[in-house]
Amino acid sequence: MPRAEHIHAPPLIGLLRSASGRFALFFTAFFAAAATAAAVILWWNTAGALERQVDAAIRADAAALTDRRRMPTVEALAVAIEDRLALDVQNEALYLLLAPDGAKLAGNLEAWPSEANAEQPWIRMPLLRDGLVSEARILRLDMSGGYRLLVGRDVAEKLRLRGLLSEGIAWAASASAAIALFGAWGLRRALERRLSPVYGTAKEIAAGNLSRRVPLSDRDDEFDRLGRIMNAMLDRIAQLMEGVRGVSDAIAHDLRTPIARARAKLEEALDGARDEAALRAAVEQGIADLDGIARVFQAVLRIAEVEAGARRAAFAPIDLAPALADAAELYGAAAEARDQKLVSDLPTSLPLVGDRDLLMQAVANLLDNALKFTPDGGTVRLSAELSPVLVEIAVADDGPGLPQEDRARAGERFFRADAARSTPGSGLGLSLVRAVAALHGGTVTLGDTNPEAERPGLTVTLRLPVG
Amino acid sequence: MRLPVALLPLMLATPVQGETPLRVTTDSSAYCGELAARVSNQPGARQEVVRNLAEEGQRLCDTGHVRTGIAKLRRALRAAQGMGG
Amino acid sequence: MRILLVEDDAEVARFVKKGLMEAGHTVEHAANGRDGLFMAASEQFDVLVLDRMLPGGVDGVRLVETLRGQGNRTPVLFLSALNAVDERVKGLKAGGDDYLTKPFAFAELLARVEALGRRPAAEVPTTRLKVADLELDLLSRTVTRGGKKIDVQPREFRLLEHLMRHAGQVVTRTMLLEKVWDYHFDPQTNVIDVHVSRLRHKLDKGFDKPLIHTVRNAGYMMRAES
Repeated sequence: MPRAEHIHAPPLIGLLRSASGRFALFFTAFFAAAATAAAVILWWNTAGALERQVDAAIRADAAALTDRRRMPTVEALAVAIEDRLALDVQNEALYLLLAPDGAKLAGNLEAWPSEANAEQPWIRMPLLRDGLVSEARILRLDMSGGYRLLVGRDVAEKLRLRGLLSEGIAWAASASAAIALFGAWGLRRALERRLSPVYGTAKEIAAGNLSRRVPLSDRDDEFDRLGRIMNAMLDRIAQLMEGVRGVSDAIAHDLRTPIARARAKLEEALDGARDEAALRAAVEQGIADLDGIARVFQAVLRIAEVEAGARRAAFAPIDLAPALADAAELYGAAAEARDQKLVSDLPTSLPLVGDRDLLMQAVANLLDNALKFTPDGGTVRLSAELSPVLVEIAVADDGPGLPQEDRARAGERFFRADAARSTPGSGLGLSLVRAVAALHGGTVTLGDTNPEAERPGLTVTLRLPVG
Repeated sequence: MRLPVALLPLMLATPVQGETPLRVTTDSSAYCGELAARVSNQPGARQEVVRNLAEEGQRLCDTGHVRTGIAKLRRALRAAQGMGG
Repeated sequence: MRILLVEDDAEVARFVKKGLMEAGHTVEHAANGRDGLFMAASEQFDVLVLDRMLPGGVDGVRLVETLRGQGNRTPVLFLSALNAVDERVKGLKAGGDDYLTKPFAFAELLARVEALGRRPAAEVPTTRLKVADLELDLLSRTVTRGGKKIDVQPREFRLLEHLMRHAGQVVTRTMLLEKVWDYHFDPQTNVIDVHVSRLRHKLDKGFDKPLIHTVRNAGYMMRAES
C-alpha cells in the first residue's frame, strides 16, 4: 500500500503539480497580463504622451526659428529668440544661438554644453536654475554659415507629472496583481474544496470501503453532477460485483449437487454393474447428466450476461406478436400431449425496442413453468396488451399457485418453492425472466390467477416499456 | 511573489545623470530689469492691468522671489502686447 | 466428404476425427491456425470445422476472413467455448456458416457437418420434394402420401419441408428449433418431440412404412427404409 501523498509539498511545486493550481496560476498570469497591458497602454497614452508633446513643441519652435522666409538674417533670429524668452510665462523655453566663432548671440543658456557636440541632435541633461536642479530637453540645429542653435524646454514639471502617473499606474498594476494572486489562491481553494468529497470518497473506495458514496450538496452544480455520476457508476459496479458473486455462489453451491449425483451414479455403476449393457446405460446416463449440468451452467452464465447489461447493445425495434404466437405454438403441442390447453390472446402487433431472442426465451420459460405446474386437463393462458407506453405480457396457469411468502424469493437463482422441489427443472427460469425484464427497463409481477379459488394459480406479468 | 514595488522609483529616475548642469541665465534679478524695460517700451504700457502686473513683478523680484517676479513681468508684457495673460 | 479439422486440443481433435471417419468421411487435421489456413487454401474440402481459439497468431475468425477474402466459399462450422451472443455473431459475420459450443454432443456435430456439406452448390429451385411415396408440393403447400392428401398445419409443413430437404441426414432438435422456429436458445424440456410425433402420427396413419425415424441421442431423420 503506497504511503499517503505528501500534501505539503513546497508551495510552487505543489501549485504546479495540482490541476487546480495550474488553473489558478494560468488565471493569475492571464489577469496579470491583461492588467499589465492596460497599464502599459494607459502609460503610453498619458505619461508617454507628455514626452512626445515636448519634443513636438521643440521641433515646431525650431522649425519656425530656422525658417528663412521669416528670419532672413541672424539679427532677426536673435531678436526673435529674445522676444520669445520675454514672453515665456511658463518659464520653460531654452535657447542658445552661437556665432561661428563661439560668441553668444542670443538665448538664456550660459554656455554651449559638451553634450551638444554628440552625434545625436537630441539632448537630455540636467539644468541649473536659480539654485534648483531641473532637467532640459534640447535640440541642436546646425545652420548655414557655421551658426549653431539650441532649442529646448525645461521638462522638470513634465517629468514630475510623468513620475506621478507612472507611480499611480504601477501601484494600480501591483494591486491588480495582488488581487489576481489572491483570487487565484481563492479559486484553487474553492476548487479543491468542491473536489475534496469526490477525492475523499475515491480514496476510501480504493482502500477497500466499497460502500462509500460521494456526498452531494444542494447546489446541483457541475461538481454535484460529477458526484452523482460517480455514485451511479459505483452502484453499478457494486451491482456487477454482486452478480459475479452470485454466479460463483450459485456455481459453487448448486452445481456441486448435480455433479456429485452424476459422479455417484457413475461410481455406483463402476462398482456394481452386472454386464456391459448396464455399464453402457450408466455411461449414457452420465453423459445426459453432464449435459444437464452444462445446460444449467449455461443458463447461469446467460443470466449473469443479461444482468451485466451486455446485451443492451443488440437492442433493435421488433414486433413481439409473431414471436409470442410462435412460442405459444411451440408449447401448444406439448400442452396437448398432456391434455392441457394453451390459450393465446394476442394483438396483431406488439412493437417495442429490445432483444427478440431474450424476450422469446423469457416467455418460453414462463410457458414452460406454467405448463409444468398446471395439472393435466388444466389451462394456461398467454395474453398480451399494448398501451401507449407499455407492452404487457401475462402467462396465467391454474395450478396450485405460489404462496405470498415465496413470491419475493421467486426470482432468486435456484429457488424452488417447497411444493415444486419434486418437479424437474433447475429453478433458473424466473431468474432469467427477471433479468431480461430489468435489462429492458421493465418489471415482473406475480399474482393469483383466481384469488378466490382453492388452487389460485399463478399469473406472471411482464411489463416492458415500448422503448 | 508580490511585484517589487520598491523598484518603482527607478522607473521615475532621470535617465541621464552626472554631467555638469546647464545654467539658465534668465532666472536672475538682472533679467527682471530687462523685462521691466521691455514692458515700459510697449505701447500698451500705460494700461492699468499692465502697470499693476509690472509693479507686482518688480516688487517680487526686489524681495527675492525672482522666478515669480519674472513670470509676472512676462505676463505684463503679454498683456501690453494685447495677447492676454 | 472431405473434412478439414483445425483444432489445437489434442483430445477433442482425436475424438472428432475418429467420429467423423467412422461416419465415412475423410478428415485432415491441423493443430494451429496457420497450418489450417494453408491447407484450406491449397486443397479442396467439403466442410471446414474450426476451433475459434487457435494458437499461432491466426485464430478461427481470421482464418475464415482470409479464406472468404480469397473467394473461398467452403462451408465453415465453428467450435467454440465462447458462447456469448456477440461471439456467435462475430463468427457468423466473419463468414462462418454455423456455430457449435463446447461441450457438444458428437451427434450434433455430425448432423450439422453433414447438413453443411450436402448443400447443393447451385440451388436448383424445386417445387416438389419427394421421399418414397411422400410428396410435398411447395407451390400449393400440399402434402400427399400415396396419392392421398394429408392435412397439416403451416408449422408442420415447414417442419416436414426441412426434414425432407435433409432426407437421409440426421437433424437434431436444436437444428429444428433454429431453422423451423427461429428459436436460438436451449429449451429446458424437449418441446420439439411432441411436434414431431404429432407430424409422424399424421404421416404414418394408414401406412405401414414410417418415414420419420428417431435417431437415438441425436435427433430425427427422414428416410424411406427403416
